[in-house]
Amino acid sequence: MQILQLNNISKAYGRIQALQDVSFNIPKGCVFGILGPNGSGKTTMLGIILDVLKADAGHYRWFEQEPDPHQRKKIGSLLETPNFYHYLSGADNLKITQHISGRGDAASIDAVLEIVKLTQRKKSKFSTYSLGMKQRLAIGGALLGNPDVLVLDEPTNGLDPVGIAEIRALIKELASNGKTIIMASHLLDEVEKVCTHVAILKKGKLLAAGHVDEVLLNEDIVEVAASDKAQLLTVVQQMPEMSHFKEEGDKLQLYFPQGKADLEAVNRYCHEKGIVLNLLTPKKKSLEAKFFELTNN
Amino acid sequence: MLHILKIEWLKIKKYPAFWWMFGIVALTYPGINLIFFNVYNDITKRKDVAGALAKQLLGNPFAFPETWHSVAYFSSWFVMIPSILVIMVITNEYTYKTHRQNIIDGMSRQEFMLGKMIDVAIIAGVATIMCALVATGFGIYTSKYADRWAEQLHYIPLFFLQTFSQLSIAFFLGFVIRKAFIALGVLMFYVVIVENAAVAYLRYQKLDFIGKFFPLEMSDRLLPVPAFLGKIDQEAYDKSLNAVTEHTIYTIVLTALIWWGCIYLYKKRDL
Repeated sequence: MQILQLNNISKAYGRIQALQDVSFNIPKGCVFGILGPNGSGKTTMLGIILDVLKADAGHYRWFEQEPDPHQRKKIGSLLETPNFYHYLSGADNLKITQHISGRGDAASIDAVLEIVKLTQRKKSKFSTYSLGMKQRLAIGGALLGNPDVLVLDEPTNGLDPVGIAEIRALIKELASNGKTIIMASHLLDEVEKVCTHVAILKKGKLLAAGHVDEVLLNEDIVEVAASDKAQLLTVVQQMPEMSHFKEEGDKLQLYFPQGKADLEAVNRYCHEKGIVLNLLTPKKKSLEAKFFELTNN
Repeated sequence: MLHILKIEWLKIKKYPAFWWMFGIVALTYPGINLIFFNVYNDITKRKDVAGALAKQLLGNPFAFPETWHSVAYFSSWFVMIPSILVIMVITNEYTYKTHRQNIIDGMSRQEFMLGKMIDVAIIAGVATIMCALVATGFGIYTSKYADRWAEQLHYIPLFFLQTFSQLSIAFFLGFVIRKAFIALGVLMFYVVIVENAAVAYLRYQKLDFIGKFFPLEMSDRLLPVPAFLGKIDQEAYDKSLNAVTEHTIYTIVLTALIWWGCIYLYKKRDL
């Protein structure tokens, strides 16, 4: 089942085209990363699917149905900033979230406050919270009542390194429990570490979308090294199937068309040519490299 | 509806400004009426002919059933106090961006606006209850015509309608302007200067048929000047009493239009 379907969504703010003809689907049970530099339209896109912004063109469907406020009640969301009543305590703010969404009960408020480590401060006014605590309360609000779908816009914003690691672990745990998580981020390693699917936006245009392995690995890379590098260099020139190679310090990176890299074949070929490899490893192209490659074109 | 009321109550029951308003209203409503009550007592206590004449002319504005009318009229001068709260209630939602979060969490835009309308109704309701309590207090204290207590009771619902309508205008300004202090400034300037001057000028120019359609003037005329002040010009007084029904309709139409406009705008625009 598709959790979310976007069809040709466009949105402009005056002359600024924030989103242009964006279409992709988010299947059930994935961790879907929306990646893009600042101002690429990530938050605008999430704003549209949460009905706080109106698209100029195109449409979207939640749970394969036309959009409806009741669908949002089943989705735990954090959009852009933690939005709470400053004069109310953390617990009282979550009580409002609970009453509006119908998710969870009094006990589950305590439970999520425990998860986001705010139990000690649950009776303090929101205005007294630090940036990180506000962010954690917002994550708590999204988690309230254990929704099956989460929309998280820059969830680790304002958190310290320990907090970031905790949220990542939490996201992975939620994903392993079958939750669908839609996450926007400009932090590449964040997406790389937790996402199964990714969409890349740049200046409102969708550059790529799909499974992480498909988007980020359209070439197979095999890293090899041998003590006699000069001989290795001459030998790999005639390696079958290989498209090109790069020198990377002491190592060589051999590029193969997708699905054509066979480690055993590489090893056998080198061995037959009298070279003993001391390194043979498949390598995923780093997301950063891919991201720059995509967004710079 | 009850569900939305519950959510709004969670928002305002711990909002300090709400209780501040409650306190200030609890002081000003009895206060202003007490001042006029004392003035009335001073005049009518005089043992000379003027005193007797005044007593005859002024009647008993703070005894049943006149008390409903008098107290409602004087209390209505302080509509600015709840107006401040009403403006805060909507501009807070913008400041905290909770006007987005409520929608994100699953409210429809219409429900959100309905919630704000309930807030304004609660605030107008608190003011009305306070006004009714003060009127009852004076009525019991002066202990005259207790059997006629219900005769002019309709001024209490009229007070509610007037307050709700005028607070809705304040709300609309806060809703459109988004910034509390600017909205408050605009409201003050309009209430104190623009409309007063315009209505008075139009009346002077014998163009009152235009003047009576100014937004606040429409509902101001729900509570005409009380008998003891109005009887100076009996003809005008009777006319103002007769116009109440007409103005009730105008007020309801205007208030409905304001809320319809708020809902319409809120449904259409980006939050």
